[in-house]
Amino acid sequence: MESITPTHYLVLSLILFSIGFFGVLLRRNLLLVLMSLELMLNGINLALVNFSRTALNLDGSIFVFFIMTVAAAEVAVGLALLVALYKKRKSVFTDDMNLIAN
Amino acid sequence: MIQVALSLLFLPFISAAVTLCFLRKHGNIAALLSVATAGGILAFSSFLIFGGEEGSIFTWSTTWFALSDMHLEFGFLVDSPAKTLLFVVSFIGLLIHIFSLGYMADDEAKSRYFGGLSIFMFSMIGITLADNLIMIFVFWELVGFSSYLLIAHYFKTDDAAKASRKAFIVNRVGDFGFLLGIIFTYWIFGTVNLQELEAASLDPTLTSTLLCLLLACGFIGKSAQFPLHVWLPDAMAGPTPVSALIHAATMVAAGVFLLIRIDFLFTAEALKLVGLLGAVMGLYAGFCALTQRDIKKVLAYSTLSQLGYMAAAFGLGLPGIALFHLMTHAFFKALMFLGSGSVIHACHHEQDIFAYGGLLKKMPITAYTFLVGVLAISGVHFLSGYFSKDAILLGAYNLDFVIFLILYVGAILTSVYMFRLYFLTFCGEARSKSSSAAHESTIFMTAPLLVLGFLSVVGGFVALYPIQIVEFLLPDIERVANMPNHLWMNILGLFAWVGGLSIAWKIYGNITSTEDPLSEKSPTLFNLSRSKLFFDEIYSFYIQRIQDPFFRFLEIMELLFISGLMVRGSAGVAALFALLGKSFYSGKIHSYSFWFVIGTIGFLTYSILFGANS
Repeated sequence: MESITPTHYLVLSLILFSIGFFGVLLRRNLLLVLMSLELMLNGINLALVNFSRTALNLDGSIFVFFIMTVAAAEVAVGLALLVALYKKRKSVFTDDMNLIAN
Repeated sequence: MIQVALSLLFLPFISAAVTLCFLRKHGNIAALLSVATAGGILAFSSFLIFGGEEGSIFTWSTTWFALSDMHLEFGFLVDSPAKTLLFVVSFIGLLIHIFSLGYMADDEAKSRYFGGLSIFMFSMIGITLADNLIMIFVFWELVGFSSYLLIAHYFKTDDAAKASRKAFIVNRVGDFGFLLGIIFTYWIFGTVNLQELEAASLDPTLTSTLLCLLLACGFIGKSAQFPLHVWLPDAMAGPTPVSALIHAATMVAAGVFLLIRIDFLFTAEALKLVGLLGAVMGLYAGFCALTQRDIKKVLAYSTLSQLGYMAAAFGLGLPGIALFHLMTHAFFKALMFLGSGSVIHACHHEQDIFAYGGLLKKMPITAYTFLVGVLAISGVHFLSGYFSKDAILLGAYNLDFVIFLILYVGAILTSVYMFRLYFLTFCGEARSKSSSAAHESTIFMTAPLLVLGFLSVVGGFVALYPIQIVEFLLPDIERVANMPNHLWMNILGLFAWVGGLSIAWKIYGNITSTEDPLSEKSPTLFNLSRSKLFFDEIYSFYIQRIQDPFFRFLEIMELLFISGLMVRGSAGVAALFALLGKSFYSGKIHSYSFWFVIGTIGFLTYSILFGANS
């Protein structure tokens, strides 16, 4: 049985990031878009931790802490905006948010 | 002195400003204010004229504004020719203001009229006192403006509106040349101050014929000389006192005054040209006046002709005589214009001389004073016109025979058309309803006529004037007096006015129809004179067929290249980019995030591939 190498972690993080990326691009529900954003961040976190572990220094791990903090703040603000938006427009679908379309 | 000069200049200005601000609805008060101002002007200018010794020159100057090293001065130069003109302007101005009280008595827009007169007096006095060419130019434009304002007094009629525009535009043409001349003068001499110019012009290499002719453009425009004479006859659409004041006695004479002011700059060739131009104008205008039916137009052409005489006198090198003729002409021409105003007023604004007749019995004061004017302008012996006009003729006879010949024929024509006007208006029987119901005008109108009539009789005797008024005239008068051929000239002069009188009597002495008898006797001559030698037609042809197509061509070029290619073109390029940018704003969050990612990847690629190696 093969052991799990850093490459596997990297592939996993790429998959996570891609799922998040296409989720952002393709999902119509803003809530899911936000979740996909989180998924992308987590994919990156995973890659960073992986690098940090492989290279045996803590720079990557410290970065991850920052990203997690920022992501928490971002989700708080993002969800608050989403709730406010829903109250105003009675919808969370991106197709209804097209005021500046030409 | 300086307080007097400043008050003299700004008194009419203040009067006009007060009229404009407070008296627009109070025509009678405005009229009285304006007449009082004219009286004040006469008082102040008397102070200025008689304040100094004989031959004294009063100058004063201050910086108006400075543009780096170019200083524009605001100053006064009251020397002998200025004193003469000042006397003429203020004195005749007052008489015409008084006359206007009667003539404009039932006008609707009195305050506009009298305010306009005040502005005119302000600008005219400005020209008279100015000590440099720039200041003259500024007031020059102001008289042009007030002339425009007053010609357009009856602006509801199409004639007056058109005539005022014509006068303004034609004057612009002349003033453009004048302005070029001033710039040219400044360039060559480095100053526009008249006294400094006079000192600088002692060096004859500096001045040139081109310079003089450019400056003379101002004279040609303002004095309505050939080829810009077309505006003056049309300007008669204004009220008659305005015609008397502006278009006969003072403003058009300002052109001659300008020539006298800068006479030291003139070269022999330029003088000859101005003289010849003036003489031809004297003949041409006399010829046109022969068949005019409108009483004021006859007088307008006569004014043109007399201005031609002044220019001829100037061209002969006799500026004193030119100024002398300016003065006497101001008397008798103002007299005749006011007389015609009195007639027009009495005949309910009928201006056709063939509709008059027999007014001698109904309006004796007007008729006799008018007769004095006619005799004076025809050069009847010992009246004012005789002295000045025969001085010009005698000078021309001795100095330049060609000019003399032209002027002499002009003199015969003068007496023909003036006596024609007199016979048709005052002799015979009334030929229309309006003239048979005419009666003598009020004292406001007859009093100025009497004063001017008196001056037209004695105005030629220079010895009667205070020396300060005529000191500029004396040297040239003496020069002419010492010329030979006096007796011969007297006989020729006698022949001119008696000949003109008899021709006029023969043709127009007792007519009863309202047709011009000349049109049957000599149709060719009549039609030629009526056509005024086609100058208006030539100008309209030039404007319609040459100038307008040229400007249409320019307009198309402008549309194509400037507004088309350059303005719209550059805007179009920007709009293309805008279209491109606009297409990104689809309103879909997905496309925004997609382009955001693409952009990020693009920047990353760029920085990896081309970024500086660290």
